Parts: sequence; C-alpha cells; structure tokens
Amino acid sequence: MTSGKKSFHSEVDFILRIAGEGGAGVISCGELFARAAARTEYHVFTFLTYPAEIRGGFAMVQIRVRDWTIYSMGSKLDCLVVFNQQAFDRTIKELKKGGTLVYDPQAVQLPPDLEATLLALPLTELSKEATGSVLGKNIVALGALGHLVEMEQRVLENLVRDRFASKGAEVIKRNMEALRLGYAYAAEQAWRRILLMADLRPKGSHYMMLSGNEAIALGALVAGCRFTASYPITPATPIFETLTRLFPLVDGRALQMEDEIAAVSAALGASFAGEKALVPTSGPGFQLMTEQLNLASMLEVPLVLVDVQRGGPSTGLPTKTEQSDLNLAIYGVSGESPRIVLAPTSVEDSFYQTIRAFNLSERYQLPVIMLTDQSIGLRKATVRMPDLSHIIQLDSHVARTKVKIPQPEFINLIDRAEPTAKELEDYRRFRITADGVSPIARPATPGGQYLATGLEHTESGKPDYTPENHLQMSRKRFRKMEVIARSFDTNPIEIWGRADAKIGILGWGSTAGAIREARYLAEERGIHVRHMHPHTLSPMPHRQISNFLVRLEHLIIVEENYTGQFAHHIKAHFGVKAIELHKCEGIPITPEEILRGIEKVAGIIDEYSIAKL
Amino acid sequence: MSTALPNYRRKQIRPVWCSGCGNYGVLRGVEKALGNLKVPAEQMVVVSGIGCAGRFSHYLNTYALHGTHGRALPIATGVKTTRPDLTVLVVGGDGDSLGIGGGHLPHAARKNVDLTYLILDNNTYGLTKGQSSPTTPWGCVTKSSPYGSPEDSLDVLPILLAYDVSFVARTTSLRIEEISAVVSKAMQHPGFSIVHILSPCVTYPVLKQKALRERIEPLPEGHVPGSKAAALHLAYSSDPIYTGVFYSIQKPTLDARLRHLQESALERYSAKGTPPSIPSLMERFL
Repeated sequence: MTSGKKSFHSEVDFILRIAGEGGAGVISCGELFARAAARTEYHVFTFLTYPAEIRGGFAMVQIRVRDWTIYSMGSKLDCLVVFNQQAFDRTIKELKKGGTLVYDPQAVQLPPDLEATLLALPLTELSKEATGSVLGKNIVALGALGHLVEMEQRVLENLVRDRFASKGAEVIKRNMEALRLGYAYAAEQAWRRILLMADLRPKGSHYMMLSGNEAIALGALVAGCRFTASYPITPATPIFETLTRLFPLVDGRALQMEDEIAAVSAALGASFAGEKALVPTSGPGFQLMTEQLNLASMLEVPLVLVDVQRGGPSTGLPTKTEQSDLNLAIYGVSGESPRIVLAPTSVEDSFYQTIRAFNLSERYQLPVIMLTDQSIGLRKATVRMPDLSHIIQLDSHVARTKVKIPQPEFINLIDRAEPTAKELEDYRRFRITADGVSPIARPATPGGQYLATGLEHTESGKPDYTPENHLQMSRKRFRKMEVIARSFDTNPIEIWGRADAKIGILGWGSTAGAIREARYLAEERGIHVRHMHPHTLSPMPHRQISNFLVRLEHLIIVEENYTGQFAHHIKAHFGVKAIELHKCEGIPITPEEILRGIEKVAGIIDEYSIAKL
Repeated sequence: MSTALPNYRRKQIRPVWCSGCGNYGVLRGVEKALGNLKVPAEQMVVVSGIGCAGRFSHYLNTYALHGTHGRALPIATGVKTTRPDLTVLVVGGDGDSLGIGGGHLPHAARKNVDLTYLILDNNTYGLTKGQSSPTTPWGCVTKSSPYGSPEDSLDVLPILLAYDVSFVARTTSLRIEEISAVVSKAMQHPGFSIVHILSPCVTYPVLKQKALRERIEPLPEGHVPGSKAAALHLAYSSDPIYTGVFYSIQKPTLDARLRHLQESALERYSAKGTPPSIPSLMERFL
C-alpha cells in the first residue's frame, strides 16, 4: 500500500456474494471466507440475511474485501456465487457488468445474453462425491472461491477443521475432501484468478473480527457491566449469547428470563442493587419493555437497553434490517420521562457507543436506548483492538463536568455518584441539584435506605401529588436532558466534506458508511456534499445541528424506513425543509442509491442557477 | 397498636390503608418477624407492585422499590442475583401476584431464587375500588361483575405446589403471631418461599373477616412439610382453610446454581481456574 493515499481510493476493492437456500451452509461458507480474508492485511466487511426459517427460504452473505477502511457493504458485486435458481433470480441484477458468476449448472438455468464471466461449478455433483450428500455444497464452493482469489488451501483447511472440530473425525474428513474437490475443479477448468491473496502479509496491529452484536457485548464488558437479562429475539440474541458465555469468567451474571418484561425488570432490579446492567432486544421486545424503561426514568435508575432493529411492524421481517424504532425510542412512553437515545454507526462504533451508553446512564441516572440494526448487528467486520491499558476510571464528582467520547486510544469509565457521609446525615435520594442528578445509595449502605416509587414523589422519595411538587420534580428530571445537550459542545460532532458545500446530508445509525461512500462518489463527479451523522438522537445536539443546517441550501435526510421518522424529528426541532431519501425494503441502502439522490438534488441546483442567470 | 415496633417503620410515610384493613396486621406481623431475625434494615430490600398491598414497601425503613403492576418478582430476582448478600422481601396483592404478574411465578420457582414473597390476598382489587380479582369466587357480585363473576377463582396453594415453589405457607391477617412465626421461617428458608396471607378488605369485603375466622384452622399436627402429596391434599381444603407451613424442601438456590456454572466455566477456561483479564477475553475474537 502506498502511503499518503486518500482513504477512499484503493487498489483492491472486491465484493463477493454467496446466495442459496437457507440451511445449505451459504452463510458459514461466507463466514469462513471472510475469516480467511481477515487474516491478511485486507479489511473485511460482511453483510448477511438469513431466512426467518431455519431451513428453506433465501439466505445470502456478502463480503467486501478492501485494502483500506471499509465503510459500507458497497454497491454492485464483483463476484456472485448462486446455489439455486431462486438465488440467481433474486440477485443477478446486483452483479456488475462483466462480473464473475459461479453457478451450479444442475440447479440454475441461465438466460442467453448474460454479460458476465460464467463459471459453471457442479456443486451438487461434487458435494455428493465428497460427502455422499448435498450438505457439502458450501465447502465445495469455498474451495472453488479459494482458487479464484488465490487463497492458500492450508489456510482454509485450518478454518474448516476448526469449524467442524466438534462434529468428529469423519465429518472433518468429508469436508476436507469437499474443499479439495472445489479447489481441484477450479484449477482443472483453469479459472482465471480474480484476486491474489496468497502472498499478503498479516495485519500490523491487532484486529478482532467482530459482529456488531459481539462488539456491544465486549463494550459492555469493558464498561464494567456485570449483569444482563434477556429473552431470545432475532437479530439481537447473539449479544446475550456472547455475554452469557463471558460473564461467568469475570464474576458477572446473565439470566435468560421468561419474557421481555421480566428481562428488563430483572435488569432494573440489578441496577437498583448497584450493578451496571444491559438489556439486549429487538423492536417487538423493546415495545414490551417500555413500561419498565419509564419506571427506570422515574426512579432515576441507570439502565442500558440495546434495540437491534429489524423490519417491522409487528413480527414484520425478523431477519431483515430497518431503522424504524426511532419514534418508539424517543417518544414511546406514558407521561413524560427523559431517556437518552444513541445510534452507533458501525461494528467498531457499536463497541465505543456501548461504553458511552453506560457512562451517560451512570452519570445521569437515566435509561439509555441504543438503536442498532440487523445490518450492523449480524455483519462481521475487522475492528482494531482498543488499548485497554488507557482506561481511566473517572470519579463521578469530577465527571460532572467533562466526559470524552470513548476512542481506541482513550476510554473513560464513570460510575454513578454515591452519597458522601455528610449527605447521608440527611439523605434525600431525589435531592434537587443544579444538574438534576442526586447521589444514589447502594443497598446495604447504612443510613441510605430510601423508597424508590413510580408514584410522583418528593426529594426524599415520599409520594406527593401536589401541583408544586409535580412541577418541581418534572423540572428536576428534565434538567438532566438540558445538561446533556449542553455537554455536547465539549464533544463536537464531526462534519465531513467541504465547508462551502451547498448540499448537506443528515443520517443516523448504520447508514453512515453508505453515505460516506456516496459523498466520495459525488465528489468524483464534482458535486460537493457535507455530511453530519449525530450519534445522539435524544437529547438533540441542538446547537451543532443548527450550525450545520444554516450553511446549507439543500438538506437530504437518509434513513431506512417508510415514513421518515428522523426527518420528522429534525423538521420538528429545526423547522427546516428536507428532501427525504427513504429505503424500506429490509436491506441496507447502498452508496449508489444515495448518489442518485445527490445527483437529482444537484440537478435541481443547476437548473436553479441557470434560471438565476 | 400503640406498642408498635419502631425499628422497621419508615417514620415519614403513614399508611394509606383504610382503618381496619387486614394489611395493618400483616405489617405488624412482618415487623415482628424482622425483629426476631434481627435483619439490619439497610441489608433489606423490599420490592412491591401496584395495589393496596403494593404500598407495603413504603412503610418499612429498608431499601424499597415500589415499581409497576405485576413486576415485583422479576425486579427482585435481579436484585438478589447481583446482590446475594441482601435480604429480599417481595409483596403483592392477589391481582398483582396472580393476575397481571402471575406469569412470573413458575419461573421464579424454577430458579429457586432465594427471596420471600408475601401474597396479600383479599379477593378483590381494593385500590381501584372493588373489582373482581383472580381469587374472587364464581358468582360473586363486584363492581366489575354486577351480575356475578363469570369465572372460577384460583386455588392459590395447589398452583404454587405444582410450580414446586420450595417453601409454601399460608396464614391470615387475623393472626399476627402466626404471621410473625411463618414469615420468619419463610425468610430463613434458603430458596424461593411464598406466604399466602388472607388479608380481608373492610371496604370491599369479598373475603369476609367473620367467615374467614370461622373457617381457619392450623394444619394438623404431624403434617410433614416434605411431602407434596400431603401438602396438596390439605391445600385443596376450603373448609377448614388450613394455615401454617404446607411445604418446605431443600434444593439449590439460584445463587448456588450460578456459582456452580461460574466454577465450571472457569475450570474449562484454565486448568488453574484463575479468572481471565478483559484483554485476554478479547483476544479470543482475533
């Protein structure tokens, strides 16, 4: 790699998709390939979609390999591997002109005039030869792909052996044979290599290969969270599965509860008892949890809830992605109770925003809702190992002024403020303070006993429904939101793109990478765009967003839902007009789709300037 | 009630219960039990739900959480799981424990979480002023069943026995000494203990004091609390209504179960069983 290269331009940028029927091992084929690629100096980014069923349906995995940071799943495919006709029909339009198509001739009928390099691979036949069944198709495909990208057979052999280690020697042997047949067939047919990966050096610094869900679990671990309670729900379950595996090793505890209401209740209880607690779920579960979240806000108990959003409404599209729980996160409550809403933008960001979620939650004694989605949650990406020797535990009283957003080089941790001996002499749990935060006594602290009730209460916790008290305590609770909004000024939101650009894009959550690439593509075409992607959706970083908006002539708001929830939120706050770009198809928006939007807006500007002349 | 036990009473908050409410008796009985056991107030967490019984947590000078309707049990499970050092008492009425929150009972029983649950049963929804509840008898006229309740009432103890709650007892607000004795035993029991306390409402008297007084009778001497069959047989009796400890068995508590998991996880992780550092756990994701 040459140094000083602009971060978007790269020599290697390869997008592969493997598609087939669910249960055929399509995803594990992709994951093994991605894992092998991640061991080289290249960066890897995967996106996958499962069918909602365990067998049958349509499954696909997309892997992008690049010699530089990857921001999105990319747009068109360089190489497509299809196991059956349905997979071919549904994905062929995504293949680049002149791209490479690998297909099973026994399962796929090709139309006559395909503009692609066609590579027939008798998957079914070779699988039967190697394993005696069709179950080895994915490993045959992996072998053929290994040849195509010149991946050393030994590397894939090791990964396949690891994958089937628990299944016994016979299964390993059959899969090794499947892998070998795949390699051999591609070599015999003299398939031309489309990428050369054999002689790459391994990466210099430490990289993990994480899914967004795993990144959240690790973020919680680093933040000092030692309790989680959950109920299984796609696509959030891996967060709990990861924590329940790790927690026993670090004196943490994980409970699978009987339903989502019980899960969030247990987490609330754990936090009341003094522990940092995480509740992972997805939209339908989140909906059930809102009552307890409201209680947490009223009791001023810290709590972090992660909603890995999926397609809705109702049961909706359990295995697909969507950004449609924003309204629920911000407004879904009876009465009025403050809560913080965050949205990580990538797998790596999921790690740091989780730490930040705990810091905010502990610092302000508020529930924090983190909105990620299926596309971040399940995809895997290479993530730089953070430097954990630089963790700084901040004293909660010092932390009242400045808290930095965690970064790889620099992680702050904050624990809730506890009452001092002097404060315990006349302890008022809900004492009215300048920033609305009052020290919280940990059970077993003598003299700290208090009543936390969901009824409106006084500073000391006694129920009180008088008009003055309700107003005063509502002010106390909401003062925290004002203090948080002001605190953003010490952590400016990054704005990308030229300062004089007339077109601005606002997005949230997982669309960050696609918008970033769309901006590069637009720049290549001479269109300048500014891009802002706030992590905190509530309370709004008001001043910073207004500063961004005032310099623009055209605002585009990008999100993955039908009604434009973020756009409504922005328009309500700032009274601006916006061009809304929505995608509501259960799959992530691509850089090209956003580029088309930018080009349209730029076209309008051109016409407008001609008219002015 | 002038010679109250002041140690466990939260002075700033006076009970909202009607004069003559059975819950006063329960509160006194519980205070006596706490006094017997000498539990320091700061070591205790009382969690309650919504309803007249839900106000129980307001009146004891402990750490207290008065939460949402029906969720006291899972909240308390979270408290006890993270802080096994604390003594956790959960209080709810028949609506809170058996109606809206009834689904949580079997799962707390499966965990055998070490806490004591007091179900204060008055056969009605008192705080919302007299609607029929899960224990209101069939045909009973209430505000929400003007022509008589169309549903059967739940047989509370047989349900708890079927769930294999590891300690099941019944008492009534009419017998403060018995409350004190039974609640003491329940709190000393390692595991999930439930005391079903019949506590009549004076304002909406679906369960009538007089009728209750006539029917209650201590469990026959010689009842062995280790036998579920015997406990079930006595639990189904509605006349007399037996009081006392029906069932009490030993099985591992949630804390013991989780400790066991922890030990085997550590053993599997390293031969020495030493806990790993966070960075070394992250290395597993390379």
